[in-house]
Amino acid sequence: MAKNHTRYIFSMGELKRKDNSIAFRNEKGNFYIPIQDTRELYCMNEVSFNTKFLDFISKSGITLHLFNYHGNYSGSFYPKEQLVSGDLTIKQSLCFIERRLHIAKAIVRAIALNIHESLYHYFRHGKKDLKQVLDWLKNDLEKLLNKELTIEQILFVEGQVWNRFYDSFKYFLPEDFIMNKRVKRPPDNPINALVSFGNTLLYTKTISSIYETHLNQTISFLHSPREGRFSLSLDISEAFKPIIVFKTIFDLVGKKRIQVTKHFDKSLNYALLNEEGKKIFIDAFETRINETFMHKKLKRKTSFKNCIKLDGYKLIKYIVEEKEFSPFLLKEKM
Amino acid sequence: MKINGTLISYFFICKTKLWLHANRINLEDNSEDVRIGKILHEINESKSKKAEISIDNIKIDKLTRDYLVEVKKSDSDIESVKWQVLLYLYKLKQKGVERKGKIEFIEKNKQDKKIHYIDLDEVNEKELLKICDKIEALINAPVPPTAKFENKCKKCAYYEYCFI
Ligand code: SF4
Repeated sequence: MAKNHTRYIFSMGELKRKDNSIAFRNEKGNFYIPIQDTRELYCMNEVSFNTKFLDFISKSGITLHLFNYHGNYSGSFYPKEQLVSGDLTIKQSLCFIERRLHIAKAIVRAIALNIHESLYHYFRHGKKDLKQVLDWLKNDLEKLLNKELTIEQILFVEGQVWNRFYDSFKYFLPEDFIMNKRVKRPPDNPINALVSFGNTLLYTKTISSIYETHLNQTISFLHSPREGRFSLSLDISEAFKPIIVFKTIFDLVGKKRIQVTKHFDKSLNYALLNEEGKKIFIDAFETRINETFMHKKLKRKTSFKNCIKLDGYKLIKYIVEEKEFSPFLLKEKM
Repeated sequence: MKINGTLISYFFICKTKLWLHANRINLEDNSEDVRIGKILHEINESKSKKAEISIDNIKIDKLTRDYLVEVKKSDSDIESVKWQVLLYLYKLKQKGVERKGKIEFIEKNKQDKKIHYIDLDEVNEKELLKICDKIEALINAPVPPTAKFENKCKKCAYYEYCFI
């Protein structure tokens, strides 16, 4: 496993600078987090801090992600020295105008191929009902994408890909986790709660990774740049959803490490993970995203998390050098 | 674009790196040691002002009555260091300050340091200006020179960018 540079804080308390360390104080006492090996700090509960603390983590190049108690993302704080390149931003904008559809299609294709890869695992293990959706993902989708499409049509195709994926859960997930309809806000059943929480975690990870490149986070290609979020991170995270978020969910649910009655908030109709559930999920998610493997093209060991940044590099190369852009595919893993 | 020491040294090390850096795709060395070093530097910056002299966009280690002194950790890129120093001498000369160049290599774990002397003369001044023209032309090209894998790439901060 790659070194994990992420620290999570689950309890209420106060964050402070103490010499060259981060101090966290709650009713149980003081805890120290060395800035060495810390790149990201996730606050999953109510935490207070002052500007002196923010200045310190900014100088240390640490990103702070804030969540409210329910696990909803509130926002992030970034070091001021963001790598920005005026040149690249101009080229990125031009690329949006001239080549948006090409990138959007590449992202949808990668989502489908990575979904295919994850479903194929279950097919090989006897879930033969998946045959139809597998064929659709592999053959029909490519035909669809080869047509001349508007961005609305590409988004419609993307919607189809996800719908068919969710639809296929009935063939391999336990009954109480099958989802009938993907409802985002509020998540109305356990699986939706897991998907929302996982997608948000992946989104913040992507923000941190893209922050290490020179890309402008607001100029996106599949999502509309008008969404008012760091929509490029939404774009880049898409291809990783099946292999990080859903892989984590399937494993936890399949091995019964997450259970409807134990790990969700009963008073909210099991539509939210409770604290214990969040911890289990985060633990599995971090393990997955930091998993290392040999990268076929780089001929080096790398982690899924690093591959997110590498997709940023690929995008820069496409924008600047017109080198073919294809988001990460599970097949690149040796 | 004003030519500085970094650009000169990249010209000799790798032209792809030169283009990427000059076109503001500067990928940092993200290793933990380098990062912590930078953090501590940043945090303590206000306490100690480094005795570095900055002229235009170049930074000079030391300027004595006779010499411009450049201190380096290793003599592995002697050619590029030589031209860096010549560039500094040239820039100083334009300001009316004439010095000779002295390069000190302080190798890790070694007591003795190697010293090289180099002076700006008519021949290498001409050569220097030619190199500067070549650098200008290279970095103004619309795309970077295609990366070719060599041994030096293994340790380069641009490796992932170049070969993904
Ligand atoms: S990886 Fe190799 S080709 Fe790329 S910038 Fe570094 S030295 Fe040059």
